[in-house]
Amino acid sequence: MAQQLPKVNELGFFEIRLESIGGLGANLAGKMLAEAGVMGAGFNGVSFSSYGSEKKGSPVKAHIRFCDMSTNIRDTSPVERPHVVGIFHENLSKTVNVVSGIYEDSTVLVNSTNNPEQLKEKMNLVGGTIAVIDATNISLEENNRVNMAMLGALFRLCDFLDPQIMKDVIRKSLEKKYPQAVAPAIRTFERGYDEVKFQTFALPQGVEMPAFVRQDTPVLGYETQPMGGTIVNPGNSVLKDLSISRSGMMPDFDEDKCIHCAACDNVCPDFCFVWDEGADKRGRPQMFLQGIDYQYCKGCLKCVMACPTEALSDIRETEGYADDKRVAHRHNFAAGV
Amino acid sequence: MAIEIQKDNRLGNVEQRIVYESGNEMAAYAAHQINYHIMGYFPISPSTEVAQFLDLMKANGQHDIKLIPADGEHGSAGICYGASTAGGRVFNATSANGYLYMLEQMPVQSGTRFPMVMNLVCRSVSGPLDIHGDHSDLYYALNTGWPILMSRDPQAVYDMNIMALKLAEDPEVRLPVLVTQDGYFTSHQKRRVMTIAERDDVLKFVGEHPPQGFPDTLDRNNPITVGPYMNEPDYINNCYQQSMAMYKAEEVYDRIRKEYADLTGRDYPILDMYRMEDADVAVFLMNSASEIIKDVVDQLREQGIKAGSIAPNMIRPFPAKAIAEALRNVKAITVGDRADSYGGHGGNMVNEIKAALFTHNVKDTLVISRVYGLGGKDFYAEDGHALFELAIDAMNKGAVEKPFDYHGHTPGDPTKKPERVLEPMKYEELNTGLITVTPNEETGKLKVKIPPLRALTKKPKRIAPGHGACPGCGIFSGLELFFKGIEGDIVALFHTGCAMVVTTGYPYSAHKATYIHNLFQNGAATLSGVVEMFWQRKERGELDHLGLQDDFTFVMITGDGGMDIGMGPAIGAALRNHRMIILEYDNEGYMNTGAQLSYSTPMGHRTSTSNVGKFQGGKVFHHKDTAQIMAATNISYVFTGSESNPQDLLKKAAKAQWYAQNVGLVYGKILITCPLNWLSDDKEGTSIVNSAVDSCFFPLYEIEQGVTTITYDPEAKGKRVPLSDWLKMMGKTKHLGKPEYEETLHSFQAEVDRRWTQLKAKHEHPAL
Repeated sequence: MAQQLPKVNELGFFEIRLESIGGLGANLAGKMLAEAGVMGAGFNGVSFSSYGSEKKGSPVKAHIRFCDMSTNIRDTSPVERPHVVGIFHENLSKTVNVVSGIYEDSTVLVNSTNNPEQLKEKMNLVGGTIAVIDATNISLEENNRVNMAMLGALFRLCDFLDPQIMKDVIRKSLEKKYPQAVAPAIRTFERGYDEVKFQTFALPQGVEMPAFVRQDTPVLGYETQPMGGTIVNPGNSVLKDLSISRSGMMPDFDEDKCIHCAACDNVCPDFCFVWDEGADKRGRPQMFLQGIDYQYCKGCLKCVMACPTEALSDIRETEGYADDKRVAHRHNFAAGV
Repeated sequence: MAIEIQKDNRLGNVEQRIVYESGNEMAAYAAHQINYHIMGYFPISPSTEVAQFLDLMKANGQHDIKLIPADGEHGSAGICYGASTAGGRVFNATSANGYLYMLEQMPVQSGTRFPMVMNLVCRSVSGPLDIHGDHSDLYYALNTGWPILMSRDPQAVYDMNIMALKLAEDPEVRLPVLVTQDGYFTSHQKRRVMTIAERDDVLKFVGEHPPQGFPDTLDRNNPITVGPYMNEPDYINNCYQQSMAMYKAEEVYDRIRKEYADLTGRDYPILDMYRMEDADVAVFLMNSASEIIKDVVDQLREQGIKAGSIAPNMIRPFPAKAIAEALRNVKAITVGDRADSYGGHGGNMVNEIKAALFTHNVKDTLVISRVYGLGGKDFYAEDGHALFELAIDAMNKGAVEKPFDYHGHTPGDPTKKPERVLEPMKYEELNTGLITVTPNEETGKLKVKIPPLRALTKKPKRIAPGHGACPGCGIFSGLELFFKGIEGDIVALFHTGCAMVVTTGYPYSAHKATYIHNLFQNGAATLSGVVEMFWQRKERGELDHLGLQDDFTFVMITGDGGMDIGMGPAIGAALRNHRMIILEYDNEGYMNTGAQLSYSTPMGHRTSTSNVGKFQGGKVFHHKDTAQIMAATNISYVFTGSESNPQDLLKKAAKAQWYAQNVGLVYGKILITCPLNWLSDDKEGTSIVNSAVDSCFFPLYEIEQGVTTITYDPEAKGKRVPLSDWLKMMGKTKHLGKPEYEETLHSFQAEVDRRWTQLKAKHEHPAL
């Protein structure tokens, strides 16, 4: 074997966990990373993703284990104590404990425009190495996908893998069907590899790394869960925050240009438009569009297409904009909520 | 894996090749090497990929298997049964509810002694829908008369699939064989797998052709009667033959696995025993978990505890004697069952093991039973330690404290009990009075008045935001647009599909009105029951205390997949004419399970089971005309609609409600976008369905009391576009623009033209 794994756990595995939302290509990136290790670099390994009802835009995980050829692979459980975590969307940390179970010498790779100090704060990281790559920007500039830039950065973190093998795989898998996509994909991969920045934060004295919580720990239990799996809480999905489903773009509402025709409301899959009754010019009761509840907006932009005026337009999402401009639904909350 | 990896290359005497693939891929890979004649299948997670991989390989010309997309698992099992009587090799794969739906076919297949191979990719069979891996489907297989082989990892899936056919076709066995693997844990995890490099070597092992000398239904010189009516004096003897053949399968398997070990270097003895030679304590588990436990055994051995693991590679026939002998000197064993046999004081395996010990006079081994890992709950090493702890404790005490329990269940924190979040919707707000429906006294037809769409934004939406559909999903805009036309209270039933899954991820529900989900195919029957109970209880005065101001409108929501597998129940409900609406959202495929073709998928469209390659150009038959099928039941109202024409859809919703409250069953179909699987831009959804309407692929019309009216005529308005204008908007149909698919496109266009012309004739002639 050409290379040694830099570190392994008690069972002999180097473990990687990718945290992403469906649609960003983390599953594919994990698969390519694993294949490069297993078929290209002479390691043994296993890779898989979280599966279920998760759709595009929902949090997903991919898991990769590498070991040497003499190690038996028996474990099928998710990676709980990763040596490397790759976070494809930094706002995932709002709803998911993306750094769960890391060691103090683990590396956390984040797709972000923030610096490591800011990310340490945001991720609630006690100690470890933060690696930052602006994968979204690279992919927009190179007209390619976020996962290629992330894959480049991951290869830099897994220096026991040969990036040339990956570039060959990218070329081979694309050149027949999409020859024009080869160069941008390889450039995106290379920029991911080259542009990743690191900073290590030592674990303060007397502080311990937080223990991991098993991913299959439920909130409810057999003493608190209503019989038969029935949900006796109609519409409680309103508590969910889906803003991480947006991947860069969002609709923007300009009230002055709005004719309140409801064309947006008719096509919105996520019921984000907030209306209120007011009086029209003649004093008759009429419905008026108030704005967008960005908590639920997944950024599909169907509304922008439907809008007959320029009241709705698509803009690149910037940090804090959605929070500032959000017009919240006035749900009819039960007492005590 | 049954043997150490590094030995693989040295052992065996056949050329092998390493691949890095999942369990599903390996089942498909073995099937393509065997080159079965027929696979009848129906999509269900997590086994669906097996058909997908085979279809992809077919599109690339890698095998000749005829892949038949059935109308449900009952149908797929029927196709397989019929094919197997006709003398060729037959293959299938399924999971969970799909397996149960075909269950009645299983004893017929084995009882009439027609071999085939089916993969059961194990998954929970459940009330609240859980699609992850446990053995509750497998346990239903125990009494079907099929030999059952187990596969602990993708390597075993490949190997067992090759051995299974040889076992099934053995002249002394002649039984269908089930190969099982754990859903997701094995089916979706990629591993290094050794494969036999040449198909010829595989065929040399299993036999180029099935053994001759057995009757089949295609031998014109020797006509046979399959499946006679057989009464009690004879039937028991048929069963005895079958029982003998089943026990014979153990011996035959043992011979086959030795031949296979010689060939490949990989050996799968009937019992996979790990460090059992001198074990004091042991754990019995099956499939993927039985690998994880070996790490635990190693760790306990390091601590000086004589631990061992025992796992079967075959559970039908049950290797009772071998298990009893293996446990003779073991002081205590914990048996983990990944499914409960409710009320049986243990799962099926523990009770069979106890019976084996009793039968073979092993009296001193203590047995602890635990049900674990239900619904795909992960099995970690720490769980393995917990199971061993129980055995060690029993050994030390010389007694079992708690013979049966669950492992891994949690009581929950009382402070985190769910609190109600929203108040119920107000009837006054749902009943805006803005929509009026009045029957014309002369014609009996309905006249509908709707306000500007703006005014209806006041009406609360029945579905709450916060559901987990993909960005740009067409389902929810389509459904809510329809619901805007419905006044007052609804009770909804959703068939299995995306809309159901993304709105009810426990403990959250996006349904503000009452909602029911039952089985994939059974919604129309289920809602019929709800509707009739409503009328019964209303008539008996049992709902008086609710002070209902109006009757509920009962709405069943289904995808096009649900109208395939559920066509029978839907027609039944229509013929019985229950007062309810069936609304189908048609996204042209089984999108919830990964974009397999449905019968509504149009000709030439790419799906994961109608791939595009050198040897196949998308779907090979035309789309189903569900609206016309339902119209043939002579119900009072049938319609089609689209969010591209909102007023049109709203009016139809209002009519639908009137007929469903006053007359009987209504059927409607709306075309909706699936950007993920149509490979289209999220924001283009409305434009794409608009194009589908303008191309006359999806005409907007209604059939009211038997009379057809086209409610929007793109031709008359000068807006008709060729199909190609619509098709170029989606990645799944881009290939249809290429010259090599001209014939497909032409055939599709001709079919659309034919149906449109027919529809126009019906529009012009009320008698048609």
